[in-house]
Amino acid sequence: MAKYIVKRLIMAVVAFIAVSAITFFVMNLIPGGPFTSEKAMTKEVIATLTKRYGLDKPIGVQYLNYMGNFLRGDWGVSLKTQREIWPDLQSRFGVSARLGLSALAIATVFGVIFGSISALTRNKWPDRLLVVLTTLGTAIPSFVLATLLMLLFCMQLNLLPIWDVHHPNYILPIISLAVYPMAYITRLTKTSMLDALNQDYITTAKAKGVPESKIIFVHALRNALIPVVTYLGPEVAYIITGSMVVESIFTIPGMGTMFVQSINDRDYPYIMAVTIFLAMLMIIANLITDIVYKIIDPRITFD
Amino acid sequence: MKKKLLSLLLAAVMTVGMTACGGVKGRSTSSSSGSASGSKKTAAATTENHDTDVLNLNIASEPQSVDPALSISIDGGILIVNSFAGLYTYDQKQKLVPDIADGMPQVSSDKTEYTIKLKKTKWSNGEALTAKDFLYSWNRVIEKKTASGYAYLFDIIARKDGKLDVSAPDDYTLKIKLTNPCPYFNDLLAFPTFFPVYQKEVEKSVTKKVPAGTWSQEAGFVSNGAYILKSWKHNESMVYEKNPNFHDASKVKIKSLHFMLSAQDTTTYAAYNKGDLDFIDTVPNDEIKTVKNSKEFHIMDNLGTYYLAFNVNADLFKNMTEQQAKDFRHAIALLIDRQYIIDTVGQTEQVAADSYIPAGMSDGNGGEFKNKSYYDAKKTGQDSVEEAKKLLEGCGYKFSKQSDGTYKCSPDISFQYILNDDSGHKKIAQAVQQDLQALGINMQIQTEDWKVLIADRQNGNFTFAREGWLADYNDPINMLEMFQTKSGNNDPQFGKDMSKHKSAPQNWKDYDKLIDKIRTSTDFSSRVDLMHQAEDMLMDTWAVIPIYYYNDIYMQKQNVKGVFGTVYGFKYFMYATKS
Repeated sequence: MAKYIVKRLIMAVVAFIAVSAITFFVMNLIPGGPFTSEKAMTKEVIATLTKRYGLDKPIGVQYLNYMGNFLRGDWGVSLKTQREIWPDLQSRFGVSARLGLSALAIATVFGVIFGSISALTRNKWPDRLLVVLTTLGTAIPSFVLATLLMLLFCMQLNLLPIWDVHHPNYILPIISLAVYPMAYITRLTKTSMLDALNQDYITTAKAKGVPESKIIFVHALRNALIPVVTYLGPEVAYIITGSMVVESIFTIPGMGTMFVQSINDRDYPYIMAVTIFLAMLMIIANLITDIVYKIIDPRITFD
Repeated sequence: MKKKLLSLLLAAVMTVGMTACGGVKGRSTSSSSGSASGSKKTAAATTENHDTDVLNLNIASEPQSVDPALSISIDGGILIVNSFAGLYTYDQKQKLVPDIADGMPQVSSDKTEYTIKLKKTKWSNGEALTAKDFLYSWNRVIEKKTASGYAYLFDIIARKDGKLDVSAPDDYTLKIKLTNPCPYFNDLLAFPTFFPVYQKEVEKSVTKKVPAGTWSQEAGFVSNGAYILKSWKHNESMVYEKNPNFHDASKVKIKSLHFMLSAQDTTTYAAYNKGDLDFIDTVPNDEIKTVKNSKEFHIMDNLGTYYLAFNVNADLFKNMTEQQAKDFRHAIALLIDRQYIIDTVGQTEQVAADSYIPAGMSDGNGGEFKNKSYYDAKKTGQDSVEEAKKLLEGCGYKFSKQSDGTYKCSPDISFQYILNDDSGHKKIAQAVQQDLQALGINMQIQTEDWKVLIADRQNGNFTFAREGWLADYNDPINMLEMFQTKSGNNDPQFGKDMSKHKSAPQNWKDYDKLIDKIRTSTDFSSRVDLMHQAEDMLMDTWAVIPIYYYNDIYMQKQNVKGVFGTVYGFKYFMYATKS
């Protein structure tokens, strides 16, 4: 296991370097720069800013300077707002992570419960109802769902504000983010649960007179959860990094909107910071998933 | 209504993230009357919020900066005019009035020396604000390390020992020396870049990475306006509270301004309808028709023009003479039905433009600048097809009539039109495309990312492009100087490589000289003539094709009174009341 982890860590460093280099060089190829504006700044002002942020140096030197600063813990300042990036990133990640983890927790708990119910009531009305709902849940895009929720809960039922300076509305964005993974987990759990219930060891357990609840929750569910865990790893990294669409609709200062905005603004240090941060999250999430996978199913080897 | 809102929200969120600056909707439409006055108001009032101490507002998303020296956007400017006070400001009738200046300036006989007395006012922390604060703040703007986008506005002030020739003979007197007489200088003194900042706080916050200082990046900084920024949740909200030390605090009735930081006009429109917001500075383009007759819908004049521009050095004109190239562009200008664009896309009573300098702009000599039309804007479109055809025949093209009444052109005329990804701009492009088909002209529409569009326009990598300009101050020079050869905003590429591009206007050195002459002119009357000459030269190229004059729309609840704005797009909330 230790050898495997070391190997994965080395691969992670290689991936990190590749991601940072590709992002850095590609973003500099996009036409338009951070100081391009409709009312053009004077040449003197552009020259001052370009020099200040080292953008006058050869691109390779810029990359090395950036990485040197980054390794010293300096994430740089935003070229648009001139604010330090790291505190901003932390704050935005905090918001996205809080929303994302809440959504995923809801999705996992209800997804596993609904999936189990669906498997245990196969072809009966609860199963059929859940099939319809999960199909809808996976088919409706988050922006449609977010809009429908806003219309229903804010406009029609008047239960929640669309915007309140002191009490931001986080309930609807969490639901918007939770529905798709919940539907997906329900389907995964159902499929793998049905598969597990047909295994020989379940038949043996039944023959031995093991109580049905123990068969379902200890033996079948444990195995049924393996694909769910596999799905959850990357999904955690995906969902906690924010959704641009949901954040825009509900005015949430998360990572998703910032990533898109930084690209639109050609805010190079910010693009780099968000990309590197997301890459690191993905790498770590995948590593943890593989380890948890092994813990849940000891039959799995890393060879 | 809710069904409509749903479809609107869905349509809009599909394009989320692709919204661009300077859209057709919202602020960037053209000039008209005071507040949709011509139409009959049939108010279907939306839900109101009756917290009389608070105004809930949406202007835009997170401002790029609220530092008066660094802000280059209108939304940033709005926040600044409500939290800082300059020497002058505007009243409800858009008249320039003293703010912390004690009366209008005393101007020397040669119009180059201004003496301004200051009222005894305070910063929000209770310290006295003196003339020295202006000396510091203005010199800070022109310092290289500040890198202010608006530093050039101070070029009109003379220099002494590398600094501005501005002095403070005593704590409450400012003396300003100009390089030459400037008819719009008083207007500049009401512009946010000329507002004072609190020296101690600014200097304390200077870092190597941010030489202009980080002082205004978070809430709690010292200011001198009607409101102080108490809380700032970046990209979410800003809370301003009444400044008890504001010199006119007794007239400020609203205790707090709450700003929703969002550029999602469908969400802000929904929040407005629900009563979560009292004021929105933009309305989704698709909703304008619905709300146009509401008493809550307002239209304000803006000083600016929506126009299309040709690159005079484009390959399209390569084999033409200078006159043929002009005639070609003239023909295109004639074919565009401006009123159709206004009626179907703009929809907010814009005025079809028949000049580049918009109606309502001052001439700097006590009158309005616009005194002529360069064409009959109401007759452009279908009415001008034959005239346009003749012009193009002079360029060597031949036309044969088709069975549907349109013409086929030989050889083919085909060129690309670039614009940013905005539904309103696209609709205008499609309307123009359709107009040009009357003579068989094929205009391909190419949408580009906002920054790519700007770069392509400024670098001359285009043939035909969407353009627009909102004036920063009320003088035509602001809109004429941008076409000087060396200007960064000379998108049509006038005067560049003239020897290589024989079809481009060859007299552009004269234009450059003319603009320089206007800048240094001491006689305001002859200055007006010179500016007319410059506009004549510009319009004679037909490289700039005005479509309509901008205006500005907003929605405000009927229980809110006293909000006012200016032709530059700034809104003033400090004297508002709410019932």
